[in-house]
Amino acid sequence: MRRYEQIYILRPSLSEDEITRVVENTNKLILDDEGGIIYLDKWGMRKLAYPIKKELQGYYVLCDFAASPEVVSEIERKFRIDDTVLKYLTVKVSDAISAEEISAAQTEAAAQAVALETEDETEESEKPEKVSEEVSSKEAPSKEAPSKEVPSKEVPSKEAPSEEAPSKEVPSKEVPTEDTAQ
Amino acid sequence: MAVRQQKRLFSRKKICRFCVDKELHIDYKDQKTLRNYVTERGKIIPRRILGTCATHQRQLCSAVKKARQIALLPYSGNTQS
Repeated sequence: MRRYEQIYILRPSLSEDEITRVVENTNKLILDDEGGIIYLDKWGMRKLAYPIKKELQGYYVLCDFAASPEVVSEIERKFRIDDTVLKYLTVKVSDAISAEEISAAQTEAAAQAVALETEDETEESEKPEKVSEEVSSKEAPSKEAPSKEVPSKEVPSKEAPSEEAPSKEVPSKEVPTEDTAQ
Repeated sequence: MAVRQQKRLFSRKKICRFCVDKELHIDYKDQKTLRNYVTERGKIIPRRILGTCATHQRQLCSAVKKARQIALLPYSGNTQS
């Protein structure tokens, strides 16, 4: 069982039922093969940076799961055929995840989701991970340094308020203390 | 000459912000922070200007390219908000 992170974009003109149908079909493929879904997040409608198949908006879905590689190619094959899926991207997060690590990751992901909902930035109650994965390293407990604020990249969601440094056009030589806070 | 002056300007020491600040993580899904490392027209800012180290610049590059694939960042054109 490998751990994958998948993002797929659905057409914006779909109804709620159709969206859930597509998501459920994908989840079924994973569960049929005794995989585990660690985290499912629907980002919702977003504006695309460039038109895909003449569409300017898309419905994003993020799925963090553990499965075997054959399942992943099967999912991607289905996505390719399906008209409603505009794009997909699957990234392998780690090789060889075992069953109890899956459940540990599931509970941690659920805790993270709850934490994000309550916008509690001082929460440090994440369980220590046994496997060093990319996702877990992002969820590392926030050590609030005296001069800096809580890091912005805790969970891959777009709800965090943005306070960016204004230097985008001219790449200025920035001092390391001035970075994107919050 | 002009060329020699330019070389001297860029050779001053710079610190990699990712090495210094361990909490900054590069994530391709995080469009807001990735936009800081990309120009207004969507091009990746070179390492000699940002001051990142080689490892982090590579991670940054692949994160930006993945984000471009899923239309969180444009390949070219203005990075709209």
